[in-house]
Amino acid sequence: MEPSLETYLALSGILFAIGSVGVIYKRNAIGMFMCIELMLNAVNLSFVAFARHYGDVTGQLFVFVVMAVAACEAAVGLGIIITFFRNRESIDVDDASIMRN
Amino acid sequence: MNTFLLADLANPNVVIQTVLPEMILAVTGIFIMVYDSYVPGKQKVTATLSLIGLAASAVALYMLWVEPLTFASGFNGMILTDVIRLSFTAVFILVAALTILISTVWVDNEKVPAGEYHVLVLFATVGMMFMASGNDMVIIFLGLETLSIATYVMAGMRKTDLRSNESAMKYFILGSYASAFLLYGMALIYGATGSTNITEIAASVGSATFPALLLVGGALLLIGFGFKVATVPFHVWTPDVYEGAPTPITGFMAAGPKAAGFASFLRVFVLGFPLVAGGVAAQYLHESWVTALAVIAILTTTVGNFAAIVQNNVKRMLAYSSIAHAGYALVGFVGAGVAATAAARDEAIAAVAFYMLTYAITNLGAFAVITLLARKNDRRTDFEDYNGIGFKSPVLSFTLSLFMLSLLGLPLTAGFIGKVLVFRPALEAGQTLLTVMVVVAVVNTAVSAYYYLRLIVVMFFKERNTDWIAPKIPAAVGVALLVTVLGVFYFGLFSNNVIRAFTSVAEKPAVSASNSK
Repeated sequence: MEPSLETYLALSGILFAIGSVGVIYKRNAIGMFMCIELMLNAVNLSFVAFARHYGDVTGQLFVFVVMAVAACEAAVGLGIIITFFRNRESIDVDDASIMRN
Repeated sequence: MNTFLLADLANPNVVIQTVLPEMILAVTGIFIMVYDSYVPGKQKVTATLSLIGLAASAVALYMLWVEPLTFASGFNGMILTDVIRLSFTAVFILVAALTILISTVWVDNEKVPAGEYHVLVLFATVGMMFMASGNDMVIIFLGLETLSIATYVMAGMRKTDLRSNESAMKYFILGSYASAFLLYGMALIYGATGSTNITEIAASVGSATFPALLLVGGALLLIGFGFKVATVPFHVWTPDVYEGAPTPITGFMAAGPKAAGFASFLRVFVLGFPLVAGGVAAQYLHESWVTALAVIAILTTTVGNFAAIVQNNVKRMLAYSSIAHAGYALVGFVGAGVAATAAARDEAIAAVAFYMLTYAITNLGAFAVITLLARKNDRRTDFEDYNGIGFKSPVLSFTLSLFMLSLLGLPLTAGFIGKVLVFRPALEAGQTLLTVMVVVAVVNTAVSAYYYLRLIVVMFFKERNTDWIAPKIPAAVGVALLVTVLGVFYFGLFSNNVIRAFTSVAEKPAVSASNSK
């Protein structure tokens, strides 16, 4: 038997929750970034599940757009993290604390 | 389904003229990128080319403006030419042009790669324009990411400066975190209604397949957009990012991306989730987003203004001030949400666009002065650095004072009439919560007098112990200052002209958005 729409949505929700808790919990910039990628992919799963449910291609096209955007974000994000590492020799976000109230 | 797809492919409804302003700017950006890789470091050439591109884009926008009906929609309803698009796009073009003029001195001082910087400004502007014109969540998301990715890089433009690095990293992580929430909201709305087109969503919220998903999706979209326009409680990134980013870019971020966030925020909520007769879920959705945004507006104006009081850094103070101004704009937003008729709604939307225009022009003017005063290394931005400079550099200090008074909302300036226009629709609705919201916003305006006037007092009445030489005003920055000062007075005195121009599009009957189905 093939899994129902609800199963996919539940899995997607769980993955999204793991990702969003991970971003808050992690102190390592790369780790946080990976959690954000997990969130984006959880959303992709939702899109595909809905697209299949409606028999509509829009959701699948949205996933292509999200994947392209995620790739751009990864390129820029890793660049930013590397610049930070060069000057600070750390990618711990707790070290990003020059500016405080 | 296959035949339907083929029919769509056979008639993809490509109307290039509809996206001409965006296309011109994107092509200019690509051209400058290629030019810069052959002849690097020609700041004057790339700045001039960018300004020419922006001017051409403005002409294309004007052509859409005089004939909105011919190109009312294109690409199967994905692009829509309406009051939101036209008014906000005008704001973006102005913001980009002023940013390029203001940053000339900073690009020279810091030896920033000029070509790359100008390309990033142009691409960010294209992203903002698509956020305002996109009538489909796919386009809105693409525009948002084009804008965000360009802005992340711009925030970290000073690669050797620790504060710039920190600003870029915080902006990147929190910005993409917010994007993920926004995207999940979009997915759930798509799941609830079976469409990503805002017009179709509006038509089917009353009969949604999964009403519960509609509410969860709406809440997630609220979080995502709340991050982008910096409303309390999603504002925590703003002060650090604005303080650490290079000064002209801070001005750009406070004016442009915030206005763009409001453009698509307005489109998704006011046009996408309207009050429809019948559907219980749709009514509940409308009621809850209006209430949620009214509460957020109260929190945002209060927290923004009170936190700004205790700041000792001018950029940080203006960051909190920008949070407060997002709160004032939200007041107009809620007013647009509860408007009884379509005409009243369009007027309220035009008021929000006008508010973002006045805020953008005032804020960019202020940041032009702050950029000049920050000097090389972009460091002198504390209140102490402004001690007693008033009569040593009268031009800069008087213009900065004017901008502070306009941000405060003194009559005769743009800020005053902007506030009046955004407060009015919410007040006219006559609901208790909305009236409370307007009262809180007005009280907060009085609170904000403290920190805006403090800067003026510091400049004119504090003693200065150290030597201070007034910075020279380069021609480009002079032009930007002239435009912003004239703008502050023009928008303050002749706001009717601008509002009429913004709403003129709406008066013509809108063509059905999706002409494909």
